[in-house]
Amino acid sequence: MRNALLIAGKDLRRRLRDRSAYIVGIIAPLGLAAIFSFVFNPLSNATFTATFGVVDNDGGQIARMFVDQVLGGLSGVTIVDVATEADARARVEADADPASNATNGLDAAFVIPAGFSDAVQGGAATTLEVIGSPANSTSAGVADAVARSFADEVSAVNLEIRTYVASGGSIGADTLAAAVAYPSPISVGDFAAGTRRLDTTTTMVVGMAVMFVFFVAQQGVLGLLEEGRDGTLDRLLVAPIGKWSILAGKAITAYVMGVASLTVLAVSTTLLLGAHWGDPVGVAILVLAVTFAAVGIMAVVSGFARTDEQANTYTAIVAIALAIFGGSFFPVSQVGGVVAMLSKFTPHAWFIQGLGDLASGRLTAIIPSTLVLLAIGLVAGVVAVLSLRRVVDR
Amino acid sequence: MRVLAIAGVNVRRMLRDRSSFFFVFVLPLVLVLMLGAVFGGATASRLGVVAPSTSLAGSLVAQIENEPSIEVIRYDSEKAMVLAVERGELEAGLEIPANFDEMSQDKVELGFVATNLQEQIELRSVVEEAVAGQNAVLRAAGFTVEQGVSTYDQALSNAQSERSKVEGIDVVTSSVGKPYSFTLGGQFDLGAQSQLVLFIFLTSLTASAALIESRTLGVSLRMLATPTPMRTILVGETLGRFGVAVVQGLFIILGTWIIFGVNWGNPVATGSLLVIFSLVSAGAAMVMGSVFRNVAQASGVGVLLGLGLGALGGCMVPLQVLELFAPTMYTVAHITPHAWALQAFAEIVQSQEGLVAILPNLGILLAYAVALLAIATWLLRRSLTRA
Repeated sequence: MRNALLIAGKDLRRRLRDRSAYIVGIIAPLGLAAIFSFVFNPLSNATFTATFGVVDNDGGQIARMFVDQVLGGLSGVTIVDVATEADARARVEADADPASNATNGLDAAFVIPAGFSDAVQGGAATTLEVIGSPANSTSAGVADAVARSFADEVSAVNLEIRTYVASGGSIGADTLAAAVAYPSPISVGDFAAGTRRLDTTTTMVVGMAVMFVFFVAQQGVLGLLEEGRDGTLDRLLVAPIGKWSILAGKAITAYVMGVASLTVLAVSTTLLLGAHWGDPVGVAILVLAVTFAAVGIMAVVSGFARTDEQANTYTAIVAIALAIFGGSFFPVSQVGGVVAMLSKFTPHAWFIQGLGDLASGRLTAIIPSTLVLLAIGLVAGVVAVLSLRRVVDR
Repeated sequence: MRVLAIAGVNVRRMLRDRSSFFFVFVLPLVLVLMLGAVFGGATASRLGVVAPSTSLAGSLVAQIENEPSIEVIRYDSEKAMVLAVERGELEAGLEIPANFDEMSQDKVELGFVATNLQEQIELRSVVEEAVAGQNAVLRAAGFTVEQGVSTYDQALSNAQSERSKVEGIDVVTSSVGKPYSFTLGGQFDLGAQSQLVLFIFLTSLTASAALIESRTLGVSLRMLATPTPMRTILVGETLGRFGVAVVQGLFIILGTWIIFGVNWGNPVATGSLLVIFSLVSAGAAMVMGSVFRNVAQASGVGVLLGLGLGALGGCMVPLQVLELFAPTMYTVAHITPHAWALQAFAEIVQSQEGLVAILPNLGILLAYAVALLAIATWLLRRSLTRA
């Protein structure tokens, strides 16, 4: 064990003097995460505010009720009176057109036709028009939903009166008020769910960090094959050092570099980019586990290579392929289908899921991910030791 | 002639290397396939549903299932469904209580859960629309009973027969403005364009390692020792990078065209764009190859710049989306040659324009190429003659 640490210590000192370790382990993932979060962040704006226009060609009691009570009750929505339907259309279109400089744009608009209030009160058919644009699809969706729920309410009261009359009731002075006041039996309530998803910046940061930790681990693991090429491995083998100490030394080097890279990234992205990795204890456990899996996998892959150049190639291919399918670039687990199933075979997906589960606030939530990562590392490690034995058995 | 020999060596070296085979040819096509599968298809929102198999609950679920924009996925337990919503594997979840049918005469609450505002608004309105249909009938029956004129069953059957006679407000939705232009075109088109631009540039940058190898192995110096002028070596090396870029570009264009049926528009326009963008990439590769001293550094920085500039330039988030949601980023994107190339592709493919329409873009790209090659020539000349 002492010899293994000695070898690891020497390797680590050498790697730290080489600028490429910093580029691969810190600068590249940090730079990419920063760029990605700049690009993707503006797209994940989560608060809803909108300006809706109303063209009231009716002016009656029901129309006013719709505008003041229904639309007025929407939070985050500003209501603007518009004179004509043509004007409303032009303003919705202007808002959807990025080239337009119009400042009086509307996200969506309602047109209430003349005779609307009379028709509703008399139980006759009428229309309510919603003008939206594909560019403001959320606003259009809200406007449409509001109009429909108002229409549903009107129809429901209508049906109450009709059923009452059909069942032999006679309409009195307060029947309508009672019908309006009678509650709907089925209601849709919200129940709160916590979140097991990371915010956009953190998702990008974590994805890049876990992708590059494989490249960092690769550098450490490849040290063994490089020493074989340069002939220094032979010198180690004739020294009074156990073969296992040599393998262990290289594995420790890769592991320490991987953990160091992830740790620096976790701290620096939290400070510089405002990423939220979560509870430090949970993050530490997941970092230790995922690096174990990364070293194991990179060691297995280099075990299949005959030369260090081949190993370099194979490990790079595997690292990129795992990163793509594991969700470093886009959220594959949320897409479903075959790709989501394939992602379950990558440490990346489990690491990202583990951090997502950690965001639920319970430390125990990371146990499944941690166990899977450790299992991947263990299986890969055993296979790697078996296949790399021939490198030191000579 | 010697120029072509130097260029030919570079192209052959890449074609024979197994790792470059993967990164140059396999990976771009795999990504086009994945992006097409992930983002290109019509995406139905997924609503998880936990419901008893009773008649009223069943008809409610059936009504939601009829909505084409929603894919209903059944769950046995509320816990599993909520977990899926929390992880983002479902856009929203709906829980219908087990005693829904009995309770519907009186009062019953469904549980709705979503973590994203957009899904919340869209899916919730579909659920409420379905609920409203049942509510109207149940409410009419309940009201009639409360007024004391009928039994519940009688009132319910009256309500059901009266329902078709109700005339109410017809909500008419109309849409103004253009649809997103990126929704036009085939499932794989946009992914293929952005991956083409991303990979030509990325491969060129990472392949600059070959130039560094030539320098560190002394190949370049040996070439200089022969009666080969500096100019020839520079042009040859540049042509080599350029050749690699064009070969890769042609492969991606033909491959995606044959396998995924990607539309590449006017061949003359696409061809000119490919050639000029390859020249830009070759120029960037020559700059990289002259600046860095070792291969590991160059490939690390190459990946960083290749992916980073690609992301900035609209290879990961379409430019049209940036234009709508992040105007500042849209402006910043035009620092990169990627954005100009992608915009030209949009003209060629989505707007079906020819060579003339993209001439301004080609001109800007050509300016990038000239500037990069000038810098590279100066740097390489300096680094080769210094030792």
